Amino acid sequence: MQSPDPLSLPAVEQLYRHHHGWLQGWLHRKLGDSGDAADLAHDTFVRLMAARRPPVLREEPRALITHIAKGLLIDHWRRRAVQQAYLETIAHLPEPQVPSPEAGLMIVQTLVAIDAMLQRLPAATRDMFLLAQLDGLTLREIAERTGKPVITVRRHLHKALMACMSAAA
Amino acid sequence: MNEALLEEAASWVIRLRYEPADANTRRAFERWLAQGEAHAQAWSRAEQVLGAFDGLPARIGHDVLRATGKRRGRRAVLRAMLGLGVAAPSGWLAWREAPAWRADLRTAAGEQLTRSLDDGTRLVLNSGSAVDLRYGAAERRLVLVAGEVLVTTGQETQRAYRPFVVQTPQGEAQALGTRFSVRLIDDRTEVMVFEHAVLARPAHGAPVRIDAGQRGSFTRGQAGALAPVDDSAALWEQGMLVVRDQRLADVVAELARHRSGVLRCSPEVAGLRVSGALSLRDTDAALHALADRLPIAVRRLTRYWVSVGPADA
Repeated sequence: MQSPDPLSLPAVEQLYRHHHGWLQGWLHRKLGDSGDAADLAHDTFVRLMAARRPPVLREEPRALITHIAKGLLIDHWRRRAVQQAYLETIAHLPEPQVPSPEAGLMIVQTLVAIDAMLQRLPAATRDMFLLAQLDGLTLREIAERTGKPVITVRRHLHKALMACMSAAA
Repeated sequence: MNEALLEEAASWVIRLRYEPADANTRRAFERWLAQGEAHAQAWSRAEQVLGAFDGLPARIGHDVLRATGKRRGRRAVLRAMLGLGVAAPSGWLAWREAPAWRADLRTAAGEQLTRSLDDGTRLVLNSGSAVDLRYGAAERRLVLVAGEVLVTTGQETQRAYRPFVVQTPQGEAQALGTRFSVRLIDDRTEVMVFEHAVLARPAHGAPVRIDAGQRGSFTRGQAGALAPVDDSAALWEQGMLVVRDQRLADVVAELARHRSGVLRCSPEVAGLRVSGALSLRDTDAALHALADRLPIAVRRLTRYWVSVGPADA
């Protein structure tokens, strides 16, 4: 009897058997690190189990697997970029201002979340939003600083908040 | 989630957080929020976004997010890299070239920053402050963009002495070898001098010399009268606020500078007199201390909304 759900455990097991080795090799080539590749291959299959695209999966499993893996790879690189930018930044800070390693982990976590919220915003919108959020500048102060009319600043901030609220869902 | 309500929540964030909010605005917001569950949900989504920034030091936040933001259209860039099989992104390092930005010092609400400059000058930025550093061959100029900065000027090691000047929208304060603070308050600049003296120069008015132990303020047009100041005025540097017989409303306003969100003081208790030392590092503790001493109650409407009112209300 055929399972009505192609993502049942046996189905995933079968996909795993057929595609895991190939996927891990592909990820290894992208990442240059076998540990990261194994982690991301694992995560890809976890996502696959939750995927809601059975037809695609039946016809072209590899296309969906690659699609998911690429998304994870992008997240991985984004996180790594945030981490590296963070390390760069604290390297330039005077000693007393460098957060402890524990605090650093939390800060990177926070930054990854914010970075994800801001990712689709144009640079100008993003910059104004950060002036408001990080520096506590008012609309008027941002307007003075950027040379833009207050109403324009307001529009940018509104847009940024909407984008963040939908990303935070 | 109701899109229209999210739009409204975004507008409220702007009116409450990014603009000086008056009592009418706050009452209007409370009425809006009280309309029902859907409104509360939309607002909690807004708080979720605001809360994501909690505990993030402003400078680190700027530098890192600026760096990652430089990878404009990076989704496309990364996809291209996937195709090319390039393993590591490196383009984002270009952010280092961003001018001025990296020279700026900023603090978020509740944050404080101490920085020693090459000439031995020590700056302490109070909560919610921003300065641009413009050190040149002829002078050392600091542009106070927001908030307050405490300056202890260093001995110039260069062969020629360069004057040290703090520029504000209202004019300039020139150090005459010294320890002083400059703060922006609405449309005026307030200068407090703890050692030596400062020459205050309004943009369009006569300069005034402010000596140690004095405070003076100036608008673009003129300098105001001088008043006495003592060292405790600079204790914010140690995270302390020392008040002597001040109005509660003023003390609450000062605490509000040191925390995120809205902190309001109701008119019924605004005139109560306060004396003592309060923590600026832990403003919640400071509010508790006030509530212990005075007939007031501290109410938390939401995480970002705290109001101080009469105890029996």
